[in-house]
Amino acid sequence: MRMLAVFRKGERLRHIGHLDIMRAMQRALRRSGVPVAYSNGFNPHMLLTFASALSVGASGERELMDVTLEREMTAGDFLATMNPALPPDLQLVAARVIDDRHPALMAMVQAAVYDITLLDQTAADACRAALPAFLAQEEILAERKTKSGVKEANIRPWIFELTMEGATLHGVLALSETENCKPDMLLTALSAFAGCEKPRASVTRLGLMGRDAEGALAELEGL
Amino acid sequence: MTVANEKIEALLEQVQKAPRYTGGEMNTVVKPWDTVALHYGFCFPDTYEVGMSHLGMKILYGLVNREPDSVCERFFMPWTDMMALMEQEDVPLFSMESRRALCDFDMIGFTLQYEMSYSNILAMMKLGRVSLLSRDRGRDEPIVVAGGPCAFNPEPLADFIDAFMIGDGEEVTLEVTAVIRDWKKSGAPRMDCLKALAKIKGVYVPALYDVAYNADGTLASMTPNCPEAPAKVEKCIVTDLDSAYYPEEIPVPYTEIVHDRIMLEIMRGCTRGCRFCQAGMLYRPVRERSLKRLVQLALALEKSTGYEEMSLSSLSSGDYTCLADLIRQLMKDLQQERVSISLPSLRLDSVLKESLEETQKVRKTSLTFAPEAGTQRLRDVINKGVTEEDLMEKVTDAFQGGWSSVKLYFMIGLPTETFEDLDGMVELARKVVACYFSVPKGVRAKGLRVTVSASSFVPKPITPFQWEPQDTREMLQEKQAYLREKFKGVKGVTFNYHESGLSFLEACFARGDRRLGKVLLRAHELGCMLDGWTELFKLDAWMQAFADCGLDPDFYAHRRREKDELLPWDFIDSGIVKPFLWHEWQKALAAETTRDCRQGCNGCGIQRYKGVCSYADAGRVSQR
Repeated sequence: MRMLAVFRKGERLRHIGHLDIMRAMQRALRRSGVPVAYSNGFNPHMLLTFASALSVGASGERELMDVTLEREMTAGDFLATMNPALPPDLQLVAARVIDDRHPALMAMVQAAVYDITLLDQTAADACRAALPAFLAQEEILAERKTKSGVKEANIRPWIFELTMEGATLHGVLALSETENCKPDMLLTALSAFAGCEKPRASVTRLGLMGRDAEGALAELEGL
Repeated sequence: MTVANEKIEALLEQVQKAPRYTGGEMNTVVKPWDTVALHYGFCFPDTYEVGMSHLGMKILYGLVNREPDSVCERFFMPWTDMMALMEQEDVPLFSMESRRALCDFDMIGFTLQYEMSYSNILAMMKLGRVSLLSRDRGRDEPIVVAGGPCAFNPEPLADFIDAFMIGDGEEVTLEVTAVIRDWKKSGAPRMDCLKALAKIKGVYVPALYDVAYNADGTLASMTPNCPEAPAKVEKCIVTDLDSAYYPEEIPVPYTEIVHDRIMLEIMRGCTRGCRFCQAGMLYRPVRERSLKRLVQLALALEKSTGYEEMSLSSLSSGDYTCLADLIRQLMKDLQQERVSISLPSLRLDSVLKESLEETQKVRKTSLTFAPEAGTQRLRDVINKGVTEEDLMEKVTDAFQGGWSSVKLYFMIGLPTETFEDLDGMVELARKVVACYFSVPKGVRAKGLRVTVSASSFVPKPITPFQWEPQDTREMLQEKQAYLREKFKGVKGVTFNYHESGLSFLEACFARGDRRLGKVLLRAHELGCMLDGWTELFKLDAWMQAFADCGLDPDFYAHRRREKDELLPWDFIDSGIVKPFLWHEWQKALAAETTRDCRQGCNGCGIQRYKGVCSYADAGRVSQR
């Protein structure tokens, strides 16, 4: 059976990379005694996948993973077994059983919701003032690192929603295998447009979105 | 003071490898600061990745945190980028757990694993706002203690450390924390605490001893200056490992560390008597953990950590009495948990073929062999009881068993070494390669890799070579160049060697006296730190520090000591007696070997711990 679990990567773990978080989760699964299924083959590995890698420097409020279990287990039992085996800054917040035919989470992700707090007041003021004009542009070119080198892309269509309150940008940004508007790219473009130096920022990914039957963005964990 | 998270976050964004500093790992312990009476800051004077791999830290961390009225938090040496930022932003060295400054702790303890970490001790104290010199510390500053193998010659650190703990730390640590806790409550002067500490068996308080030198620079005398200080400091020995504390929960790091696995200490000590090996002397007598206790610990640790790998740790795991049974039992109990078991210090002559075959069921890593010297003559000099036949037999077994990667450890600069011995190393490596090709193609694994590592010999205190000069740097470099050239012609072999300047400095501090404290302080002022990292090692600065202090490093590294010379560490009673070491040295010169303790007592001195040393048998003590 498959379990979809929602976890929190706390502030303190911001600098822990995706591979390290994955390993921490694998070890937690082993500690908990949850009956995780392994792949067959010469080098069996845990059947555990993550919806999306969270980059170094960002914390996450509702990150998603998908674990295959060898035996039936309720979501409540899963949570109660796993959380004592996880450190305080990496806790599960919800879980639900999903169908074996449920598509891979990775393929379902379409967008992510972010809070991006600018840590420089002057830059925050400049960005807030420039935001309406920034969004009014038809094209926003940003540099994007791909496997084949640095490319320029128009990220305007990838910004589904972007508002700013105080020093915090709140955005719904495209996140899929082909369209990925990283907070850092956005910040580079916005600060350049606002004519200020790119500020340091604290990034929190609040959640992941997919598309429902009507094609509207919806919380991925509920789909 | 607690360092604010925002302040730390701002630094972490600018450094490489921020996970070194985040903390919050599984199984770490946080206790509300004011709820405990004693705050112990355990300092590992090297980076997080190195320190977190250290078993002793995990033992003491668990031990102190088990006490309801004490807390132990961890400190590591920051890398240069972090160090610079912390200085710039005025952020003190803070603990991994509650992010408290080092100077806030009642007691801070450094573990002395290798001499080249000494400069880090000063750097950490400075950054942690603790006065560097013991005599300058005020009533409210932490009591600074140190322990570990290098504490057996504590003198080079005598100016900086308030009290050393000599020997096994499991029991003495809690006696020390209790004294400091009570003293803290008492409001008595600092010296009262030091004197109380000196009364504990195994504790050495340098301030309570006066040292005088002869005109030629050698030590003239070392005498206690108060009744509390014993003339001889006897090391602590845990008599029964089964009842000694061992952690069942250990911190599990997020980032990869050097030894990222469960370490199961199966025994302490070694009966082999290799003459270059300091650990082999210091950790006597041999004490084993029972199979039952080990299996119980292994299962508990696996459950609490989720680690997928476990190593059996000791100086000579192959000598563990029921190794095959232990491995079989662990395999049986842990296979379901998909845990692989590795044997790190594999001895050539003791591991059963059967155990090898059992280990590989899970994973095949590279096998390490340590012949240490290239010819039988020199192996006899150092009493490394390994023959070429042994090596070839084990290597053949390994290649037939599907291993293709072999590491060979050697030392250069051993006493009496000649270029013939170096040729012997090359010859031995050549034979290992030939051995691989003699195994039929279908049987052997692909991709032969033979790595030959040659470290430079450093004479250590409390070994039969403690009187001997180290090879000069020029000589070591010549030998390295010679070998590099010779190994070029051997296909399949990679040759590595160590920076000779580092070994030279290690030799100075290993057998240094109290006067080296000045050199260390000067080197610290000149910016020396993280010396163990070759890219940061500044030999020139160290040489300048010696010159500035009017001391000659050759006096420490390259001088032959006289038989009756008072050595700076002679006041430490390690259990091993000086006449035994001298006798061993004479036998070494004659290339005579000494039997393994298990074949009969050789009278090293440790036999006086009756009932603890299993091989003490007065009737068979050789007379001298």
